[in-house]
Amino acid sequence: MMRLPVHRVLQKAVRHGVSGNGAVRGLAAAPEKVEVFIDDKRVLVEPGTTVLQAAAVAGVEIPRFCYHDRLSIAGNCRMCLVEVEKSLKPVASCAMPVMKGMRVKTNSEATRKAREGVMEFLLINHPLDCPICDQGGECDLQDQSMTFGSDKSRFTDIHFSGKRAVEDKNIGPLVKTIMTRCIHCTRCIRFASEVAGVDDMGTTGRGSDMQVGTYVEKMLMSELSGNIIDLCPVGALTSKPYAFTARPWETRATESIDVMDALGSNIVVSTRTGEVLRILPRMNDEINEEWIADKSRFSCDGLKRQRLTLPMLKNQNGELTPVEWEDALVGVAQALKSARGNQVAAIAGGLADAEALTAIKDLLNRLDSELLCTEEIFPLDGSGTDLRSNYLLNSKIAGIEEADLVLLVGTNPRFEAPLLNTRLRKSWINNELNVGLIGPKVDLTYSYEHVGSGPDSLNAVLEGKHAFSKQLQNAKRPIIIVGSTALQRADGAVVLAKIQKLCSTLRAKGSIDQDWRVLNVLHRVASQVAALDLGYAPGAQKIRDAKPKVLFMLGADEGVIKREDLAPGSFIIYQGHHGDKGAEIADAVLPGAAYTEKQATYVNTEGRAQQTIVAVTAPGMAREDWKIVRALSEILGIKLPYDNLNEIRRRMGEIAPNLTRYGDVEDANYFTQAAQLADLALGKGSLTTDPLDVPLKELEDYYMTNSISRASPTMAKCIQSVRKQRQSKY
Amino acid sequence: MSFVGLDKVAKLFQIVRANGGVMRSLRKLYMQDELKIGTLIGSDKYGNKYFENNEYFYGRNRWVEYNPKHNLEYDGSMVPAEWFGWLHYKTDSPPTVKPPVQYKWISDHTDNKSGTPDQYVPFTTTPPKIQSWVPPKKSGSSN
Repeated sequence: MMRLPVHRVLQKAVRHGVSGNGAVRGLAAAPEKVEVFIDDKRVLVEPGTTVLQAAAVAGVEIPRFCYHDRLSIAGNCRMCLVEVEKSLKPVASCAMPVMKGMRVKTNSEATRKAREGVMEFLLINHPLDCPICDQGGECDLQDQSMTFGSDKSRFTDIHFSGKRAVEDKNIGPLVKTIMTRCIHCTRCIRFASEVAGVDDMGTTGRGSDMQVGTYVEKMLMSELSGNIIDLCPVGALTSKPYAFTARPWETRATESIDVMDALGSNIVVSTRTGEVLRILPRMNDEINEEWIADKSRFSCDGLKRQRLTLPMLKNQNGELTPVEWEDALVGVAQALKSARGNQVAAIAGGLADAEALTAIKDLLNRLDSELLCTEEIFPLDGSGTDLRSNYLLNSKIAGIEEADLVLLVGTNPRFEAPLLNTRLRKSWINNELNVGLIGPKVDLTYSYEHVGSGPDSLNAVLEGKHAFSKQLQNAKRPIIIVGSTALQRADGAVVLAKIQKLCSTLRAKGSIDQDWRVLNVLHRVASQVAALDLGYAPGAQKIRDAKPKVLFMLGADEGVIKREDLAPGSFIIYQGHHGDKGAEIADAVLPGAAYTEKQATYVNTEGRAQQTIVAVTAPGMAREDWKIVRALSEILGIKLPYDNLNEIRRRMGEIAPNLTRYGDVEDANYFTQAAQLADLALGKGSLTTDPLDVPLKELEDYYMTNSISRASPTMAKCIQSVRKQRQSKY
Repeated sequence: MSFVGLDKVAKLFQIVRANGGVMRSLRKLYMQDELKIGTLIGSDKYGNKYFENNEYFYGRNRWVEYNPKHNLEYDGSMVPAEWFGWLHYKTDSPPTVKPPVQYKWISDHTDNKSGTPDQYVPFTTTPPKIQSWVPPKKSGSSN
């Protein structure tokens, strides 16, 4: 496994002025800055920064292929050569640390000549197939050869020996390889081994026989494999589902939010003629850095399959038939008209947005019903969902980089929140982060201490009987992450209460900073935090108890509520965007918009409100979800008091002000009070003995988790190839 | 008479008489923008009548008067193929003189249907961008 080499850890420790733990911040005095001159412009930078970074500070961008901010330095493409005064040879600026008084010339004759030469060498073995290359238009090599290359070619193949040609590799259904185009920057290799933690890629051969690949044909078994497409500066690695689909100048980019997991990764939706073509990551250092997981990137073709495009009502034969909106709303209104109080309930699924949740809550409240539930369960004993700190990832995603110990309870972050896992891995590599896990032994791509698989080990840690509890006691910045899966159990309340207890005992020792948060909950679905903020009850038990006559399902596709759970002769309304388990049991189907088709608010597991932007219009007769509910309310004669997005957002802000503060995390508090109230839950029950389990254990479990990814043919192909790869002897 | 142009007046009376009186002539003028006199060469089975008068200049000496049932909605495509050749000077022998060869595979003439409910509408051959969900038939409903 790859952690930093010993000398670099030591170096870091020396720099920080402490021995041992490198993660402790703020203890070392700030080192003196180094003065360098970039094109005679004076800049002051930290010692240890590279010439390339110093140039970036001065506002000069040096061309590069192999260098990448978030990967280790390779220094093998030589594109970043610059002239340094008093240096005999041009210097690879990406790998050269700055020295005092260094004078760098980024635009001198020698620099330009060096770049031109490097470009010439690169182009000798690069095919001239830009017209049929999918990278065309967004290709670093194309751009840089225009800017820094020679104006004429000296490449005259007088012997017709041909250019170098490399056989293409098959690394799975997501990434297409055209290896002849490869310029050996090794970014993909470094990404796979450093960020994704899959050491499958590498180089074989040397000189002009060098090849990047997996040596034996095998799939790149990673949930982050799509990122190597973005990293590849040329067209060697391109997207297989997007192959030959569009050129970048034809597409329209819409900045939006991903809803495949609870992290709310920032994405760019590429569309053309009302069709989502691909999804790319957008940089946000607080959440996803610049990566996104494969489900977020490739499940967008699920948005074109199994869509609900027409309102439907059941006819006399019990079959759903398409009807006009007016008829559908009138039909639904008739069912709702007689239902009052506990006769009507609503259940929200994992992809519901805050606006729709607000509208449905207001509608049902006007029908005197409080039966509003989410499909995901969260324990209500103790302070339950009354205190926000109970159900948030309080330390924030970026906060993991400051932690020195992380205990994961009943979660597999690698597949439940892949980008949280990359943070953990990043800290594990750079900050000597130690990770403990209570739950099934899964591959997290980094080594961790398996504390135990059952809740009894939680007891052991709490009572200090386990070896890991000593580490936990000594940690200055510990984080405990509870998976939402662990709280789905019957004894979920006790699990949460025990962990709250553990957090408060750790805090009671006094060695933890006052503003440091220990307790963290990792949700699995994008809608959960917003739903809890709005006052939805987690879990459908309330509905099962009340046996309502009318059930309103808002994208509830996990099959939590069955028809048997309701009163006989009940009426089920399904509002959502995909025909899945929910629509199958429904009596009325109202087609809503998917996350690329509406401007809607989602709150991620940290409690950060973010909004999606309309990239394409909803297909067919489908409409934005809150508008459907608003129209229904008017037919019912209880008109909801908002007519546009601003007005419903004002209402959202009335219920939970944090929902409209986009991009910010609203800090939650009252940890001590929550821990005191948790004693109530402890008194009520005890831990069962069955081990904590997670549903997403292996890569094949990861790909299909919601109605969009279940409808995606690409995700189905992924599962198939992963299964096939498991059969393979490699 | 021709010196003072009175022959033109005589001609006018002649044409009006040939077209069946003042009212009919005015109606024809309204319908066809022209009032002409000529010999009836023949008519087709759709009720169109074909005339010739070589006193008129070449190009205006053969014409068709469409079936009056079409009123103002007549159209050049209503001329069937056998008359088309004579009307457009491809041949000087009308089908009344030289009947066209009949084959059993020749289909009946159709005029241009554009703008009518029978018009041809091109259809897309590309698959739809969005595939709709089709509800399962006869799901196990408890109602």
